[in-house]
Amino acid sequence: MKLKIDNLVKKYDGKIILNAMSMDIEDVQVLALIGASGSGKSTLLRLIAGLETFESGDIAINDDWMSREDIRDYRKKVGFVFQDHNLFSHLSIFENISLILEKVHGQKREVFTSEILSLLTYFGLDEHKDKLPHQISGGQSQRASIARALSIKPEIILLDEPTSSLDPVLTCEVLYAIKKLVDEKKDVILVTHEIGFVKHVADYVIFMDEGRVIEQGRDILSNPKTEALQAFLGKVLSFA
Amino acid sequence: MKNMRKTFGFVAALVIYCVFFYYVMTKDIGRAWNFEPFGAYSFFIFRGWLTTIYISFIALLLALFIGLILYLMEQTNFSILHYLAVIHKNIIFGTPLLVIAIVAYYYIGNAFEIRSKILVGTITLGLYIGAYVSDIYKGAIESIHINQWQTAKMFGFTRFKTYRYIVFPQVIISILPPLAGQFALTIKGSALLSFMGTSEYYNRVNNVIANTYLNREGFLIMTLGYLLITIPLIKLVRYLEVRLNYKN
Ligand SMILES: Nc1ncnc2c1ncn2[C@@H]1O[C@H](COP(=O)(O)OP(=O)(O)O)[C@@H](O)[C@H]1O
Ligand SMILES: [Mg+2]
Repeated sequence: MKLKIDNLVKKYDGKIILNAMSMDIEDVQVLALIGASGSGKSTLLRLIAGLETFESGDIAINDDWMSREDIRDYRKKVGFVFQDHNLFSHLSIFENISLILEKVHGQKREVFTSEILSLLTYFGLDEHKDKLPHQISGGQSQRASIARALSIKPEIILLDEPTSSLDPVLTCEVLYAIKKLVDEKKDVILVTHEIGFVKHVADYVIFMDEGRVIEQGRDILSNPKTEALQAFLGKVLSFA
Repeated sequence: MKNMRKTFGFVAALVIYCVFFYYVMTKDIGRAWNFEPFGAYSFFIFRGWLTTIYISFIALLLALFIGLILYLMEQTNFSILHYLAVIHKNIIFGTPLLVIAIVAYYYIGNAFEIRSKILVGTITLGLYIGAYVSDIYKGAIESIHINQWQTAKMFGFTRFKTYRYIVFPQVIISILPPLAGQFALTIKGSALLSFMGTSEYYNRVNNVIANTYLNREGFLIMTLGYLLITIPLIKLVRYLEVRLNYKN
């Protein structure tokens, strides 16, 4: 992926959340964003996805600069998975995907049915395809959300703490699903507190604090330079 | 065994109530029960009973529409519309239906020269229930998690498609139980329209009482007539609540 961000400023109720943030990422497949709660990771992800307006700055994915006029087309390049409540609760797992392909992408049922089935099989969900979201586990819902994000063949998939509301066993299950995305050579931006997993899959890591990039690079986790990152890693890894 | 005990408990409780009312009414009546004259009026009363259901049903349909309009008005940034809805709801929530019905019938109905009693009654009831229904919509729409809205936006759903395919189907399901409950309230509320002379159930039974002087029997019939509609509705609410609870 290529991700360019220029002087991005975002405020909520007059309070600065992203403070003139810039980054220039190239030749990275898996980008990880880490940082304490409230540092602005989710906000940044929503802005990259084109879900919210911002005060100033520019964002480009793969050299396509986001603009208000074609925001809907821009969003189609992006798949998004939230921490929870991703799935439409009145639709089965299968329908959660088919609705989008049918009503937004105008695809034919004959075409997408087999595609969805193979996608669900790939993520080990084929036997649950007709269940409603409340009838499956949190891990299965997150995997279904990942499968759904993949179904629109996005250029990039954004994952915002996809395992934060899961227990360790389910977390592992979902991390395996993310690993599958990576193995499929999908471009991924991942926000997570699973530092071990980040070390394992991420090509590039950005550490944020209070709406700024504090440190970034390919091996900042094994070789943190700033005190802030050292302190952060000290906290999250204290029992690792 | 457990079921047996439950059934017994229910029957016993029912008997206690029956004995109580039988005692109260027999004591007061000072004569034998006499339901016979009601036979001649049974069709007359039955028509009133159907009218009650009819008025309530139409009023509820109207309220579904009015409630949606009120909800949308309240949500809009256009502040005149917003406050029109807010004031309407505050008046409705803060005033007894009886007072509203009197004002609607004698003043508003007259001012606009609406002569049909059933029409004024139904519209009044619809406007009244509509205020409550708008809150039912509000609850149902707000119970859809923010992430589902964002997901819809993310996947390229337009505003219309989001409402059509994601919000509306969920709202329909989650408003059904409270709506069935609201219908029971509408049925009861419709009795207040009787003073307008609307030929609904309460009014018709009252007419028969006036002709026959059989108060106690009349009120018993009245009570049973309402229970016949509302108890199944309340059962339906319970059933729907269990059946449609797909969120938890
Ligand atoms: N919708 C919102 N309205 C107001 N403030 C918000 C909103 N979303 C996030 N914030 C604020 O922005 C800051 C960053 O939040 P967030 O991006 O969620 O951080 P993170 O994901 O790193 O925990 C927090 O102080 C949070 O309170
Ligand atoms: Mg967050």
